[in-house]
Amino acid sequence: MTIHEHTTMPAFTLADVDSDGAIAEAMDNLERFADTRAGFLRKSALAAGGVIGGGAALGALAAPAGAATASDVAILNYALTLEYLEAAFYTEAARVRNWSGDLRRFVTVVGAHERAHVAALKKALGSAAVASPSFDFKGTTESEAAFRKTSQLLEDTGVMAYAGQAPLVDSDAVLGAALAIHTVEARHASWIRHLNGASPAPVAFDKPKTMTQVLAAVTATGFITRAPAMTSSGGSPSFTG
Amino acid sequence: MLNHLTLEAVDADGAAREAYDGLPRSSRMSLLKRALVAGGTVVVGGVAIGGLPKLVTAAPSPAQDVEILNFALTLEYLEAEFYTRAIAGGALSGELLKFAKVVKSHEAAHVAFLKSALGAKAIAKPTFDFKGTTDDPAKFQATSIVLEDTGVAAYNGQGTRVTKKVLAAAASIVSVEARHAAWIRDIAKKNPAPVAFDPAKTQAQILSAVTATGFITG
Repeated sequence: MTIHEHTTMPAFTLADVDSDGAIAEAMDNLERFADTRAGFLRKSALAAGGVIGGGAALGALAAPAGAATASDVAILNYALTLEYLEAAFYTEAARVRNWSGDLRRFVTVVGAHERAHVAALKKALGSAAVASPSFDFKGTTESEAAFRKTSQLLEDTGVMAYAGQAPLVDSDAVLGAALAIHTVEARHASWIRHLNGASPAPVAFDKPKTMTQVLAAVTATGFITRAPAMTSSGGSPSFTG
Repeated sequence: MLNHLTLEAVDADGAAREAYDGLPRSSRMSLLKRALVAGGTVVVGGVAIGGLPKLVTAAPSPAQDVEILNFALTLEYLEAEFYTRAIAGGALSGELLKFAKVVKSHEAAHVAFLKSALGAKAIAKPTFDFKGTTDDPAKFQATSIVLEDTGVAAYNGQGTRVTKKVLAAAASIVSVEARHAAWIRDIAKKNPAPVAFDPAKTQAQILSAVTATGFITG
């Protein structure tokens, strides 16, 4: 297979449909949340897409994620949102088309990984976990060419997203989990790039991206069509994905 | 991007030197031992022993960064030399050669970066004997998979032990090691991403595995 691409990371184009403001606003909340580290309970409830009363959020966070700070909750929910997106993408791809050969194996293996990442992050967050948004992949799960391109963009973006957050994580438990996922995203990116005839490792140092940069890119795809619904007080967020 | 990680950023107060000086005087220090001591582990009789518990359990600090960056540098020296010799040996062709050339350039860039970050505290390059694995395509392929997977586990194992500044740099390197691992695995018809969560390994585990290869001779 020839390697005909040695460029740096591709960028999502902004030409696509701009997603509705609700998502951007929710994501902005996450970002502010991470930046200020203030208002733990109120904002963690907000980040979870629902109102969490009393000490429920604290109790849930204490368990698998260790001493999760408000900032870590925001980062985990950000990661969860990206994993929801990836998991939904591969799950839909596997459903709508009968893939063959290398792509079939890729869709099967990577889809299972992304669903495992979702499950792990939800478990770590407990009742503070944000619900899944709704998605519209605009035909990219059906067309082989579009699938190849979109998968590469999603995986490269995942790598940059985790790299950007790693130094911001407070808890060792959260960091350990994030690093374990980070390199698997890099393996996925390398794999699909190899299948696409692109350089699997285009640069010696992968570039991190901030939450703002990644969310702007995700928003620009138009893949996220609806923010997770707010739930009533004390209830569990409803998962649609 | 990574130039901000300077010697000042990882300014050591001699932790590695302290560890080195703490070895039994009767133990003749080879370059390998120096490298491994700098990596936080004392090697005696070819067996890596997880020593220096004070360093292993310590919270992130600039001094500990030096120790960990030298551990990383040892692994990057090993990888860079492996690919350099494989290319020079002339046994590779086609996609394996292309892989070796790209990855060699990356590992050399990682070495240069780590040496730059460590400055005078950078350990010297060990000497190597790859025992024929650079002269045979099948052996090269199998060894490359082990080295790259090991690199991923090594960096991931140090993530919680370094300061945030070093972590930012390490995060930019570790995903490239993961890309290399997946690439050579796909070439070898092995699963490029065999698990949903990559394992992390301690310095003692990594250095034990490296020592077992016998690739580092001095």
